[in-house]
Amino acid sequence: MSVKQIGNAEFADAISSGITVVDFNATWCGPCRMLGPVLEELSEELEGKASFYAVDVDDNPELAQTYGIASIPYVAVFKDGQKVDEQIGFVPKPALSAFITRNL
Amino acid sequence: MDGRYDIAIIGTGPAGISAAITAKVRNKKFLLLGSAFLSDKVTKAHRIQNYPGLPDIPGAELAEKLQEHLRVMDIAITDCRVNMVYAMGSYYSLQIGQDFAEASSVILASGVSFGKMLPGEDENLGRGVSYCATCDAALYKGKEAVVVGYAPKEEADAVFLAELADKVTYIPVYGKEESGPVVSQRISENPKIDVKYTKPESIEKKDGKMVLHTGLGEMVSDGIFLLRESVAPDRLVPGLEVEDRHVKVDRKMATNLPGLFAAGDITGTPYQYVKAAGEGNTAALSAVSYVDVLSRGK
Repeated sequence: MSVKQIGNAEFADAISSGITVVDFNATWCGPCRMLGPVLEELSEELEGKASFYAVDVDDNPELAQTYGIASIPYVAVFKDGQKVDEQIGFVPKPALSAFITRNL
Repeated sequence: MDGRYDIAIIGTGPAGISAAITAKVRNKKFLLLGSAFLSDKVTKAHRIQNYPGLPDIPGAELAEKLQEHLRVMDIAITDCRVNMVYAMGSYYSLQIGQDFAEASSVILASGVSFGKMLPGEDENLGRGVSYCATCDAALYKGKEAVVVGYAPKEEADAVFLAELADKVTYIPVYGKEESGPVVSQRISENPKIDVKYTKPESIEKKDGKMVLHTGLGEMVSDGIFLLRESVAPDRLVPGLEVEDRHVKVDRKMATNLPGLFAAGDITGTPYQYVKAAGEGNTAALSAVSYVDVLSRGK
């Protein structure tokens, strides 16, 4: 399993069931580019436990608006469609792993 | 800058230079990142009386001696500012403007020039307060933002933000209106940018909007950007453990992040040149053993 890039059209369906981790980012955002590979690794390690998606806020401003996102990278955890936790900014892998794991 | 370095040394005061000298002696592939003019704190010191071997030396002369040492050892300074250091797991990625450099280990020796936070800043960071206009500009399409610039070079980010936002209020805290033109034409002639000469005092969130309290009263917007010359160590390196605003280190100058070491004023008092130089040496030796163990494990 890897991190799948999605947009507004697929979003509701993607987060509808189970644990979903969504990375809101933009191509020109340095910290986002650094967080990307960390999430890739975690998506492999947590395969079967959580699904991983990425959303470009530049292409999907309505999603950023919906979740009141004011800074990126912004990683949200959804449980059956409901946002249960958020992490703003870059964090090293162990901290990001702990953030996701505590929501499993 | 190319490939992955063994050690990236951030800072060109006595701690960074001492670390670079040791890294050179130990034949490591390293980067020394900072200012070609070393450190203002050294250059502007009146006289330094307790640096062994250099009795009663003026700061400017110590700076010249340090430069000479770098020349003799053929160590080059990469003149730049490091914006962020990312702990990627088995290596570190350093953001320098729009470029990235990679190193197996990092020595943080950038001093304590970071200013105090504004009241309300920390709790609203990422929730209406941002340090990175290029990161978050996309979220301000059709919105209003206040940008506080602490140095003239931050004007570029205000202009970038104004391309997307409806309105940008720019506060150049580095200048005073009475002393003539402060901001460049790209700011003053930009129809979307309004320049205000004042000082920011505090930040609060009110009815979903961000309020910046200033000497000119309240400024209400969708978001506040604080663009500072230097940031606190745990903002420079996300995940880094600090204590009383200084980087927490052990006797080997190791931090809580494996492979990241700190030296000099950034680790706390006493703020002394000779203490900084000693810590730089220790940090470099620790980084060398870390890198050696890492490469043996490959």
